[in-house]
Amino acid sequence: MKRLIWFMVPLALFLCGTVFLLKGLYSNPHERDSMALERAFPTFELPDLMNEQILHTNDIFEGQMTLVNVWGVWCVTCAVELPYLTQLSREGYRFIGLYYDQDLDPNFGEKTITRVRSEVIDMLGKFGDPFEFNVFDVYRDTSLDLGVTGAPETFLVDHNGVIRAHHLGDINERVWNGKFMPVVQKIEVELAEERVN
Amino acid sequence: MKNTLTFLILLLPFYVVFAQNTTAPKEDIESSDRVVPKDYAENYAFMDPDDRRVFLKLTKELRCPKCQNQNIADSDAMIAHDMRRKVYELMQEGSNEAQVIDFMKVRYGDFVHYQPPVTGATIWLWLVPIVFVIAMMTLFIYRRKPQQDTSMEDKLAQADEILNKID
Repeated sequence: MKRLIWFMVPLALFLCGTVFLLKGLYSNPHERDSMALERAFPTFELPDLMNEQILHTNDIFEGQMTLVNVWGVWCVTCAVELPYLTQLSREGYRFIGLYYDQDLDPNFGEKTITRVRSEVIDMLGKFGDPFEFNVFDVYRDTSLDLGVTGAPETFLVDHNGVIRAHHLGDINERVWNGKFMPVVQKIEVELAEERVN
Repeated sequence: MKNTLTFLILLLPFYVVFAQNTTAPKEDIESSDRVVPKDYAENYAFMDPDDRRVFLKLTKELRCPKCQNQNIADSDAMIAHDMRRKVYELMQEGSNEAQVIDFMKVRYGDFVHYQPPVTGATIWLWLVPIVFVIAMMTLFIYRRKPQQDTSMEDKLAQADEILNKID
């Protein structure tokens, strides 16, 4: 009996260790729950990418469900997801781009806003344009407030301006159906209830 | 014992070859153009040398969320640039060290700071080594304990018993 215990205990410990390490092999170290989840979208006042005369604020979320997509022309994965996002926008989902550029920054060198705009038009023409409009996060402060680490990232914002879902990386059918759809349906129910009241 | 020694001696040539293989590329790197690490803190001006020290400390303590095993002092990722700039801005606005760390934690979670807080989940980081040392020491003492010497009378009695059996 005692011998059996001396055999079983190290074996159990070893197996626990193996399972732990094996799980680590398949875990994604970049996958962390966003701190922004279930919080109000950070307060912002930012110009429209195409027309700096227009200023956008948190009012853009009022009364409707919105998907905020953080992106940039320099981001390869963004180009990959744009066609699918465009398809979703045709199904009636509202997309707003939170655009940021790395070259328009003293730390990275100079790039004129006209060039950024022409590049944006170019890319959206090529891969599809899901966006109602693009908010230009000039100094990337709003991205920082959102806890964005890189593009693309997508936030599902409900009709009260609260972030309900977040995804790091490209959105495809699997991600949309698995991660976003359940929350989207919940928000749609809430919206319908509020309209009745 | 002797067998083990022979085995190790036999392994020696392999070890030497292996060691050469692993050290060889290192020299190559040193002879070729080495990337000189850039000191990003140079981009920021401080009136007070103490502020500069705090800035350097903070950027060393804050972890880049994009490039996971680098601090923001070290990283060239855009997010690290932005975070350094934010740290500087916050300091210029009069935030102290703890406030800057809290600012980052609100946005990027506890992950962003290299010093994890003690919580129900992280307490094991401190407990496991202590528990392990205690367990091993207990085991060591318990196993090492010599058989308690019984008294001379008991021994004689045992001897008698054995002798009786032989008879």
